[in-house]
Amino acid sequence: MLNTVAVNLRAIFRDRVFHGIVVVALLFLLIPSVSSLSMRQVTELSITLALSLLSLILLLLSISLGATSLWKDIERRYTYSVLSLPLSRSAYLVGKFVAVALFLLLATLVLGAVACCMIWLASGIYPADRPIVWMNLVLCIAADLLKYVMLVAYAFLFSTVSTSFFLPIFGTISVFLAGNASQQAYDYVHSPLATTLSPVVKQAASVLYYLLPNFSAFNLRINAIYGIPLSMKAVVLPLMYFCIYTTLLVILATVIFTRREMK
Amino acid sequence: MPKTVRKLFLVLPMLLAGYLVVVFALADYMRSKPFVEKLGYIPSVNTMKAMSADHRETVGALLMLKVLMYYGGLVDKASNELDMPVDYPAMSRTIDASLKLDPYNMDGYYFAQAVLTWNVGQVALANTFLERGMQYRDWDWQLPYFVGFNNAYFLKDYGRAAKYYRRAAELSGNNMFINLAGRYMQRSGSTEMAIVYLGNMARNSRDQAVKKSLLIRQAAFIRVFALEKARDAFVKQRGKLPGSLEDLVRAGLLRGIPRDPYGGKFILQSDGSISSTSGFSFSGVKK
Repeated sequence: MLNTVAVNLRAIFRDRVFHGIVVVALLFLLIPSVSSLSMRQVTELSITLALSLLSLILLLLSISLGATSLWKDIERRYTYSVLSLPLSRSAYLVGKFVAVALFLLLATLVLGAVACCMIWLASGIYPADRPIVWMNLVLCIAADLLKYVMLVAYAFLFSTVSTSFFLPIFGTISVFLAGNASQQAYDYVHSPLATTLSPVVKQAASVLYYLLPNFSAFNLRINAIYGIPLSMKAVVLPLMYFCIYTTLLVILATVIFTRREMK
Repeated sequence: MPKTVRKLFLVLPMLLAGYLVVVFALADYMRSKPFVEKLGYIPSVNTMKAMSADHRETVGALLMLKVLMYYGGLVDKASNELDMPVDYPAMSRTIDASLKLDPYNMDGYYFAQAVLTWNVGQVALANTFLERGMQYRDWDWQLPYFVGFNNAYFLKDYGRAAKYYRRAAELSGNNMFINLAGRYMQRSGSTEMAIVYLGNMARNSRDQAVKKSLLIRQAAFIRVFALEKARDAFVKQRGKLPGSLEDLVRAGLLRGIPRDPYGGKFILQSDGSISSTSGFSFSGVKK
């Protein structure tokens, strides 16, 4: 399987995806000057913008690599020749998934380092009210990475059942939006404001809440931007949630892909 | 060389020359085009929360920058004495949305305090924002300091003002706020309180439009304070209020009546207070 990971990782680099990231990463250079437009929170704005840009790039990578990687191979009939080798379908799928996840990790490391440099520069323009907590920043970036790896797992799951790229791409975007809104919807449904909602709707919302990914759990932005202390629970629970949820998704995707009829 | 390529070489310089003429004319036109920065419509906060996904803080910050750009444009126009209706309700709505997306964003609270209170008289709204902000920025002494000032200066609720000044003192570890409360908690000291407060606000503001607006107001209040001191001296000497500000000049207590930086004229009210025909705003002069 290691070979599959290496081959797929090389393929991603060959597609010049990393070059594209470097070009987009040039936008990070604008962060200190845009942040200086703030009245009172230059450093905080630079952290907000840097984290947002990083998250946006990771989102684009997750959708483009996660949703098209498997579909492209099947479309080019590349999968058939690979699977004729002594390689199981599950190893092929997991290998591809790990390659995309590793590429996301690499992109996060490079872009995260650039983001930290820009934040450090901006903090020299106008120091923050509260000192920057670099550990919170690193944990926030790491949590973002976990979230997008989970999204890639969804993209792979959609790719295993779809014959076109529509479901993987639009399905992944929908999961991303739903996963970010699920906590808000759940809170609303169980608040006194929602007394008019029928119990059936409330039950349905609760079931969806537990089924859909909860991306809000990976959002540590406020802690990173304003240096608000992070509890152990806020770090450990999302990590455990990620491990279990992603493993389940990959297993489900593997089962479907193994049983898929390839013609 | 093929015929089509030769034709292309003939057309290309013409197109290039045409482009140069048009692009400079266009740039010239764009520079002179009246600049209208509008706040316009923004979707509901819940929609923005759902659609912005994990970029809520960024959307909040961008909305706030939009308000700053809009206000910056207005301050420039006010200085150039151009007439421009100010969409204050849209400004309040946008700040509210920005603070609901990121309740930690200090720019929103600072702007509400610097502009909504003085320019629009929306003291209650500014206090609502600030009190909401205190639940989040529970380390920040500036928010209770602002609410304390609003209660003392605008609402004359000295009991509430003292409560918030005490909170500011606790958070900052600086007893200055308690002293401030004791010194200025009376009507006679309110102009001096405003001068100190506006100076602090202007010093801490990085936005040039907001800074300029605060400094102009401070300059006006410094002049009012000088007039108040002369009026008090007149009352001490003669045992009665002067009939007009000119009486203060005639009594040798003032060299002349200072100019209102907003372009209005200072006047003495029948109760002895000093006001201006400008209402301390540029728009007040023209109307």
